[in-house]
Amino acid sequence: MNQSGNSVKNWLLGYVDAWDQFWFTPRQPHTLSVLRIITGVMLLYSHLVLATDLSAFLGDTAWVNNETARQLHDGTFGFSDFGRTYLWFISSPTLLWIHHVFTIAVTACFAMGVLTRITSPLAWFLQLMYLHRLTGTLFGFDQILTYMAMYLILAPSGSCYSVDAWLRDRFTSTDRGRFWNWLFPEAKATVLANIATRLLQLHLCVIYLFGGISKARGQTWWDGTAVWYSVSNYEYQSLDMTWLSGYPRLFSAMTHVTLFWEVFYCALVWPRLTRPFVIAIAVAVHAGIALALGMITFGIMMIAANMIFISPEWVQQMLIRLRRPSQQDEG
Amino acid sequence: MDSEPVLLTKRVRLLISILIIGHLLALVLPPLSVQTRGNIGQSPSVSTALEFFEPYSQALYIDRGYAFFAPDPGPSHLIQAAITRPEGPFIERMYPDRNQQWPRLLYHRHFMLSEFMHEIYQPPGPSEELRKANRQEARYWSLLRARYKNVHQSIVDHLRNEYPNDQVAIRRIEHLVPDLIDYQQEPIELTDKRLYRVLLDQPIRQDANE
Repeated sequence: MNQSGNSVKNWLLGYVDAWDQFWFTPRQPHTLSVLRIITGVMLLYSHLVLATDLSAFLGDTAWVNNETARQLHDGTFGFSDFGRTYLWFISSPTLLWIHHVFTIAVTACFAMGVLTRITSPLAWFLQLMYLHRLTGTLFGFDQILTYMAMYLILAPSGSCYSVDAWLRDRFTSTDRGRFWNWLFPEAKATVLANIATRLLQLHLCVIYLFGGISKARGQTWWDGTAVWYSVSNYEYQSLDMTWLSGYPRLFSAMTHVTLFWEVFYCALVWPRLTRPFVIAIAVAVHAGIALALGMITFGIMMIAANMIFISPEWVQQMLIRLRRPSQQDEG
Repeated sequence: MDSEPVLLTKRVRLLISILIIGHLLALVLPPLSVQTRGNIGQSPSVSTALEFFEPYSQALYIDRGYAFFAPDPGPSHLIQAAITRPEGPFIERMYPDRNQQWPRLLYHRHFMLSEFMHEIYQPPGPSEELRKANRQEARYWSLLRARYKNVHQSIVDHLRNEYPNDQVAIRRIEHLVPDLIDYQQEPIELTDKRLYRVLLDQPIRQDANE
């Protein structure tokens, strides 16, 4: 009895150790820093595109005007949620423009890694405020972009490949105070970088799992025609792929691979043996969506999100290798 | 990954672990509630668990279903606008329109708007029969109808602002995807007129349900 009690205790402690290893082992920030650049640039692009037709999406004369946008959330139509934003209450076009220019400036700073500890949460918060205002005009791109910005807040993503890193190395001494250490962190392994990485990895697994499950409810994802019906939708189409109708074996294979890859992503992305294949299919699927289905921004962001499974040491080595030839050329 | 020793105290690790588990539940429960919806509404166990996490999920916009191109890829839904000038030519606009909205992200926002208007569509009603049989259901119908009408009116108002002094009317158009077998036998242009149909705003006919 005592022996079996001990083995249960050891078994449980094994799980606690595994949990601690998974969440609390420090991780280098390099992958997250690259993702900060990609996320920042895409956020900036999104805000710039919105600026080309700002009054059509914000304010009292927008497609979905301020009052209607608020009512879609506040229970007027029987549905009340906690998606709140102050943008429902801004009617003045001038104020909306000032707010938008401020958002663009903050996002540009975040992308470049300028005062990242401050601009990272601010860029995410502003994006979230836009999302709750733009109800009815959003899609997968906005979701993954916002999630990545959210997890990057946790990590010192400005500690490398950033203006912050350049300022830290050039102007601050090693015995700088606590505040400056926080504002311009060293590019070293931290627990927070690991937690941010793990949360994004698991969030990606949740997205693919439920994406796969919801597809598995349909008929065309089983009979193999879903890919053909997707590429022959004119409104999505950016590359004419209707020739696929002549190759049923090809489009049905693409459909089956997409369904099974999506359902099993959450299990097969973890073992080192299967991870390269899972990531390679992710790149192929999302590149296909980007090129053929007109969602280039969504495709890029999903490929970038999959980078979270690449080790920071590998990213660091690759970037050093990429820099070397140019340095030799300069020499 | 570095295999350095764990740096945090047990108490801090416990606190962070609780926060992580809470966040993960807030991630998983919303799409799970979508998938477990059936004849009795949401699964009672999932909806009970979701109640606690929903405010957090909604505030952070992580309350999504992730059903991309699911359960089946289907037709597109467009908004057709007719703009009538007092003394001038009649203008017709289709939203989205890749020739009018550029770059692609801007086009896609218009596309999502037209899909949204279709998604929230609720026919006129409720019928007198429903009012008598189930007052709660009838009230719910009225709220959904009011939601659709408000969004519809907002879109009309936006167009009136873009085309002042003109009369504006909009309607929903469904753009079908050609059937695979038909397409293999006789390929047609994806913009063929036969693939478009007008979706009328009219009450559901009793005989249509039977």
